[in-house]
Amino acid sequence: MAIDQSLIGQQFEATEPVTVTAEAIAAFCAALGEERGQSRPGPDGAIVAPPAFAVTFRNTEAFFHYTPRFGRGFDAGKEVEFLAPIRAGDSISLTSVIRKMYEKTGRSGTMTFVVLRSTLINQRRETVAHVDHRFVHRNPGEPG
Amino acid sequence: MATILDLHSHSEASDDSRAPVEAYLNWIKLRRAERPLDGIVLTEHRQFNRAADYRALEDRFGVLVLRASEVETDYGHMLVFGVNDDILRRFDFANVRLPAQEVIDGVARLGGVVVPCHPGRPTVGLCEHYETKPPLENVAAVELLNGGSRKGENERTAALVERFGYHAIGGSDSHMVSLIGLCATRFEAEVRSIDELVRELRSGRYAPADFRPRRPQPRRAAPEAAGSE
Repeated sequence: MAIDQSLIGQQFEATEPVTVTAEAIAAFCAALGEERGQSRPGPDGAIVAPPAFAVTFRNTEAFFHYTPRFGRGFDAGKEVEFLAPIRAGDSISLTSVIRKMYEKTGRSGTMTFVVLRSTLINQRRETVAHVDHRFVHRNPGEPG
Repeated sequence: MATILDLHSHSEASDDSRAPVEAYLNWIKLRRAERPLDGIVLTEHRQFNRAADYRALEDRFGVLVLRASEVETDYGHMLVFGVNDDILRRFDFANVRLPAQEVIDGVARLGGVVVPCHPGRPTVGLCEHYETKPPLENVAAVELLNGGSRKGENERTAALVERFGYHAIGGSDSHMVSLIGLCATRFEAEVRSIDELVRELRSGRYAPADFRPRRPQPRRAAPEAAGSE
């Protein structure tokens, strides 16, 4: 499977800013069984989202349109670098780039991995997190 | 003086491992009674971690840390020891379809040695490829003991070793800290550098060492003494 390395570093359009609400944080905490985070504000009075909240922001459709597809695939996990708290009232936008693409072989055949990095920025232009989304695709014609 | 090395391990430099080298060495220090390793070899996937410098950690923990690579070929995965600039210029380690025979011969000519790893593993092991392709030439050794093998895979490798008379090594194939050193290789000679490791791998003076914990055997009722009243 030929990988178009020119896609690496390609940046997709930024999303429209999404305003973080206390209700959204509470719903996220409830889904994870974290009751404390629903009601306790941080030292500055604002409710601070748990770190994993960073993975809830979605990319634009363009991101998915340009993402290389190599047959069947699935989400192979995320790595998040936390740089600043996300608080209720923040307005978060994100941009994404294709960071890595590589092949590997395993017991079940050859797979192509695509790593997309999303950078989350708040209304003060502070970078609050980098999220690396790792997708794995089974190469067409491979067993499994 | 014998040397025991885990010849197959992956640190966080590999895409599928989160194990810091420091944590590996600390674990070895804590578990030395069970896994008496003198050192480890980091065999990162499809790359050679040229920039890494582990000398400070070696001094701190008293454990040798050598660097090698695990590459992917048309006969499965193979460990490359003695990686140097000439080898890196000759072969693209990111290519998952490297021609195995060329890698074995080319690496040997350029000063290294290649050892097929986990040969009994489906798809990426030598055994399955030998069912449809001619056997490789100039194989110095194969990894008989692999700590990540599933049931039956090391046994399949044992049959391969028996049939072809290969020398055999052991390695944990650790991707997690607690698995380091479960399988290793015991060298008759002292090994303190990658050049010495390559020399010894070519010599055949070594054997796999198994430090995996033994599962308790099920208790059986004592047989009755024959003829007892």
